[in-house]
Amino acid sequence: MKESKKMLLHYITGLGIVIAGGVHLFTVFLAGPYVQNLAFSGGAFSVIAVYRNLVLALTLELLLVFVDYHALNGLRIILIEFHQSTRWERGVSWILVVTGILLLIYGTRTVLIANALT
Amino acid sequence: MAESLTSDLKRALLGWFYPVKYNLERWAYALQRISGLAVTGYFLAHIVETGNVVGGLDVWSIPATSHAQDVWTATFRFLDNPMFDIGLVVIGFMLVYHTINGIRLTLTEFGFLQGRPTRPDFPYEPKSFTKVQRALFWLSVLFATATAVYALNVFFGV
Repeated sequence: MKESKKMLLHYITGLGIVIAGGVHLFTVFLAGPYVQNLAFSGGAFSVIAVYRNLVLALTLELLLVFVDYHALNGLRIILIEFHQSTRWERGVSWILVVTGILLLIYGTRTVLIANALT
Repeated sequence: MAESLTSDLKRALLGWFYPVKYNLERWAYALQRISGLAVTGYFLAHIVETGNVVGGLDVWSIPATSHAQDVWTATFRFLDNPMFDIGLVVIGFMLVYHTINGIRLTLTEFGFLQGRPTRPDFPYEPKSFTKVQRALFWLSVLFATATAVYALNVFFGV
């Protein structure tokens, strides 16, 4: 992928995080008492209630995808500005891609299973 | 010519993240990187933390709800600690700074707020860092501080 395309994706995911992250922070801090929202169940925006709401669960999954790309691409930018060589750049990219995929799998598992919990 | 990895890393860590004696744009840059790293650290921890909503690392099929609830309640109790709360106050600051300063960077990336090229004159302030950009930078610091105060109030009820 061209570097310019990676950076365009960086800005797009950044904007996506502002929106999806805004919804996420709203459901945790502003929609009712904070302690109730972080309890397993009991409130309209408690943890399980949020995951079982399809729209909110989808928002969390999108947020996961956006942050995963944005954070690891950010690390890549920092690391390849530290030092320039093809080997270094390839090594850094591979490690970050694998890390990103593992995080995505684990996070998606959480969303899917939490959505299915009764 | 590329230098050795270790000397490059040393120079980067000593130089790039230490904006003292440089101009404001350099401060904005260093803070953007530092806040990005801080929020990335939080993201990693948060994926592990929220993984406990369904029962933790070894749960790969739908568990008994009571098991998930026990694990999450224990996690929440563990995290309900002033040290973690202070961490979240710092993360709140970093997150909001990174967001608003990131919007400034996005605007400049697509050619907005760039100003005109002019002759560099004493005291050689960066022409690229225009007034609107400075305002956005200070706005990000202001909102980040406000968020930290809000978080302090949520967690400690100051």
